Amino acid sequence: MSPLLRLFARPETAPHLSPTEWNLVLRAGHSQHLLARLGFRLEAHGVADACPRAAWDALEGARYFAELIQVQVAREVRAIRKALAPLGTEVILLKGAAYQLAGLPLSLGRHASDLDVLVQREQLAAVEARLLASGWEATKLNAYDQRYYRTWMHEIPPLRHRDRDIEVDVHHALLPLTSRLHPDPALLWAESVPLDRPGLRVLDPCDMLLHTAAHLFQDGEVKDGVKDLLDIQGQLEAFADQTDFYPRLLERARRLELGRPLYYALTFAHLMLEVPVPQGVLAEVRAFGPGPLADALMRRLVTRVLDPHYPLRREPVIAQWLLYARSHWLRMPPGLLTGHLSRKAWLRLTERPGHPVARPPSQGGDDPLA
Amino acid sequence: MMKLGELAGSGALGRHASDGLYFRTGPFVTRLETAYPPVLDLLARFYGETEVFPDPVIASFNVAIRRPLGPRRWWRAQALFAIEDTLPFEPYPLSHAYPLLEWGLNWSIATRSNHFLMLHAAALERGGRALLMPATPGSGKSTLGAALAFRGWRLLSDEFGLIERASGRVAPLPRAIPLKNRSIPVIRDYLPEAELGPEFEKTRKGTVAHVRPPDDCIRRQTETAAPAWIVFPRYIAGHPTNLRPIPKGLAFVRLAQNSFNYRVLGRVGFQHLTDLIRRCACYSVEYSDLDSVIAALGDMTAAPGPEVP
Repeated sequence: MSPLLRLFARPETAPHLSPTEWNLVLRAGHSQHLLARLGFRLEAHGVADACPRAAWDALEGARYFAELIQVQVAREVRAIRKALAPLGTEVILLKGAAYQLAGLPLSLGRHASDLDVLVQREQLAAVEARLLASGWEATKLNAYDQRYYRTWMHEIPPLRHRDRDIEVDVHHALLPLTSRLHPDPALLWAESVPLDRPGLRVLDPCDMLLHTAAHLFQDGEVKDGVKDLLDIQGQLEAFADQTDFYPRLLERARRLELGRPLYYALTFAHLMLEVPVPQGVLAEVRAFGPGPLADALMRRLVTRVLDPHYPLRREPVIAQWLLYARSHWLRMPPGLLTGHLSRKAWLRLTERPGHPVARPPSQGGDDPLA
Repeated sequence: MMKLGELAGSGALGRHASDGLYFRTGPFVTRLETAYPPVLDLLARFYGETEVFPDPVIASFNVAIRRPLGPRRWWRAQALFAIEDTLPFEPYPLSHAYPLLEWGLNWSIATRSNHFLMLHAAALERGGRALLMPATPGSGKSTLGAALAFRGWRLLSDEFGLIERASGRVAPLPRAIPLKNRSIPVIRDYLPEAELGPEFEKTRKGTVAHVRPPDDCIRRQTETAAPAWIVFPRYIAGHPTNLRPIPKGLAFVRLAQNSFNYRVLGRVGFQHLTDLIRRCACYSVEYSDLDSVIAALGDMTAAPGPEVP
């Protein structure tokens, strides 16, 4: 286990870290935007004061940018609620916005990258029209991207308000239409929980966790998923004490066809973050797992790719590629996949290349070099 | 305490830097990895008095100057700046590797160091009290700052007014002062005693040459100062020196616009900026003649402080 994940798993070890271990924690934490979260976690476990000054400065200093984005997310949610009010439609907040507005501790210091909402499919067209009329604009204008989203995906092409920086993803389902799993949105709406602000809901706690699991293990290529794994840890910590949480979780997984992602979520949260999932639950969820060969392979690949071991060894390129291939395999049937990937490759060859250099998020201040 | 200058010239510096050289940069420790000797030579020349750490310590910035793999390693050779595993900038010509390191380090400090309120300002100290000169465009702050640094003031920083959030004091971040274009002959002429590094031509900002910071300000780089004066300088050719108090509300707004992280810090930023403005006498100064503006700033430090709203 990398020093960063070990510290998330066992915050009480913070006072015993060597400078070299701290450097590894800080470097990986900066790269993955996890320092603010780690700082709040250490604080909640009463070890903030035991951290060396230089380390704490980095952990505390990372908070402000995360908080700035959270302020922007809250403002965006208000704007969406206002824009949709005339329709009388409700939205379910997903992921970061849901954790934040439901006040879950795991949202402290969490870096949101965009705002995800779920609407009823029959209201999708009206919602999109209303948002477009109220200042939001499509960020992907290429005709193929538009068609790709509308025909095959579980969301419309991303929107962004012309005056603001937050990308809004409007979903009508949790997984792509082409995916092998089809959690029924009607079941999600039926159990969803209203927030104290009218028009806003969040998923039922079990469904919320299942959505994170599906996002990490069914919809994505796992690679940048350490944030999702920490979300799973945070939700288990927040919900596990509710009566009958685990039996209900297993039951919801069955009904929503999300048993396999749940198997991976509980297994890897237990394996990589030492989350105390009861042995009985781990045994029961095994029934959702794959065969022993695939299971052994996934354990090897996921632990290699998810753990930010930076910078001790080379990037696990092959494991990353296998999980990338797997994510596409799960996303769409083989014929469609071949068509999509060739199309993407053709566009890459014929379109003008974009900017090659990745930029870390700016703090929004002046550029000292300008 | 081991000094950077002591490592230079013996090959020890290169050995350190290939697996990580830990050195002090004001309140920070930087870990630098590079296998490109000219960068190290200049670093040791400018910051010979700075502390280096033989054993790993917690580093605020983990940076590297690398050369790309592939043809651009040799053909029209390039240099890359890396912080952790990201490359925030486009490659530079290899001959500009040193300014790239200085810029990269500034960028790293400005994007991360939220335990300070970071103003984009030059900072100098006299008698334990600090003068902040925000860097509004056309202010000539680097030129004026360099001149003051050799005329009775201690250079705290050319680029960063670092306000410690816990104490409200100004933390030094003394670095080589990058002079641009026409400032270079001005300073060569005005400060013959100042040592300038090589001139880097055709950078993003034109020709750049660094003034080596006085040894004393490097030796005292952990000694903070109480903020006392905020002066907005403005260079106007042929203009007589005109130093005058300005309202604090105006100073607040202009300083907020010249901060790296005022917006990011939110309410905390507002509180610290308000405290800072309350403690300081605020002025603006138009000038063209260095002797005369230095004298005016000297008179300002002797005055009890203006009565302004």
